[in-house]
Amino acid sequence: MRRYTKLYWEFAKSHMKVMMEYRIDFLIGVASVMLEQFASIFFVKVVFDHIEQINGWSFYEILFIYGIAATGRSIHQIFFDNLWTLGWQYIRPGKLDRLLIRPVNPLFHVVADRLHQDGFGQLIIGLIILGTAIPQLDLVWGAAEIAMLVIMIISSGLIFVAINLFFATFSFWMIDSLPIVWAVFNLSDFARYPLTIYHKGIRMFLTWIIPYGFTAFYPAAYFIDKSGYKEFALWTPVAAIVCCVLAYAFWNRGLKAFASTGS
Amino acid sequence: MRKYWQIAKGRMQENTAYSAWYWAGTLASVMRLLIIYFFWQAVYANQTTIQNINLETMLTYIVIAMLLQGFVGGVGNELAENIKEGQVAIELMRPYDMIFKMFAVDVGEKVMYLIQGTIPMILIAYFFMDLSFPKSPETILLFVVSALVGIWIGTFFDFLVGVLAFWTVNVWGVRVLKETLITFFSGALVPITLFPDWLRTITEFLPFQAMVYLPVSIYSGLITGTEAYMALGVQLFWLISLYVLVRGIWSQAIKQITIFGG
Repeated sequence: MRRYTKLYWEFAKSHMKVMMEYRIDFLIGVASVMLEQFASIFFVKVVFDHIEQINGWSFYEILFIYGIAATGRSIHQIFFDNLWTLGWQYIRPGKLDRLLIRPVNPLFHVVADRLHQDGFGQLIIGLIILGTAIPQLDLVWGAAEIAMLVIMIISSGLIFVAINLFFATFSFWMIDSLPIVWAVFNLSDFARYPLTIYHKGIRMFLTWIIPYGFTAFYPAAYFIDKSGYKEFALWTPVAAIVCCVLAYAFWNRGLKAFASTGS
Repeated sequence: MRKYWQIAKGRMQENTAYSAWYWAGTLASVMRLLIIYFFWQAVYANQTTIQNINLETMLTYIVIAMLLQGFVGGVGNELAENIKEGQVAIELMRPYDMIFKMFAVDVGEKVMYLIQGTIPMILIAYFFMDLSFPKSPETILLFVVSALVGIWIGTFFDFLVGVLAFWTVNVWGVRVLKETLITFFSGALVPITLFPDWLRTITEFLPFQAMVYLPVSIYSGLITGTEAYMALGVQLFWLISLYVLVRGIWSQAIKQITIFGG
């Protein structure tokens, strides 16, 4: 474990150097991600200029859901973004073969190979959204609530990671599963709004099959009493752990079945 | 026998890689339709109109806008890659005008996209949702012309962003920036009439509304009569201005190449 921590630090240090080298690009990346998020929030704001609530949820409550999703996603984007590239950067050009003969866990190596700068934009905007929304919600904040919020956000991030890892693993059989990963990732857009606005089938799907519901809606519902999901929301960390275990087991299976492209 | 099986399998993998993108794109569009549908249903649960727009018109606007936005992109990405990898130097020696060549590629791609991507999506949308059709043939004709002009404005703008690859390294960031600007200011998410006044004023001076908002408003009846023709005039203005800009920046950029190529 200590060895891995140290190793990760070494990897991270070299990324930092690269980032500082291309400072303008770093800023463009951060700014563009922030603007992207800001635009979709502004969209919700424009709609709320004309109405009071959506399905019983006020603007700031929806902002709160959104903020949890954005912050959770930033964990995934900063540290685990390289999972996206498994197919075209590792398996197709045969780079994975080189990783396999090194004395480190191959998943660790792939993940540590990149620290994604643009994720910091996501993190900043996520915190800004939470900071805007939380004071407007009728909530009492003690140490327990803050601890719970942190746990919920980390769980949210882990679910993003687990789902991406699971579908990236298909690359072992089909060389590059990026289209699948991308299509599944798009599902997370559903999680921006209260799940209660959707048809029951969609709600079930996002809870039990591809659990993006746990990345934003359920964690937020824990803090908002009237949602009626307060108790169910407590399963969020459990869902995160189960997802990670399943995804990692699947990854190991894929790794065993892997035959190099030979290029 | 085994080696031939491997060859067959390899080809299957290659083919699935291409068709996988097609299915992924289709799936993503269907999901967006679903989100749009349920979101606006929930928004209209307690009122019949917003800014005099009823649910049917709103859904029509949003869905057509989403479909049209799929065409607004263009060749910028390919151009940026061409520049990054130095391919552009060879392209410039070939006996054609590179800008026109890029546009020709773009037209080919969009025709295929229309057939494979948009038409199935139109069928799905009209089958499952209550969308309205334009009232008169004149409106349909106006919409088609306006949509084509809007798409070309989008292509020109995309080209401009692609050329930026001569000066920046983080092409991905610039693209996200561009897409955000377009998504937001083009009125692809929500009719611009819903914007607060100050923002609407800004939007009217930008080229983005000419890409999506104007054509779709003609289609869904938010803009009618002489206003529709005025809108077309605004679009033509942007079309010509952007083309001039494309030519200007391109000739600047080509000078830059000699520096790169040393």
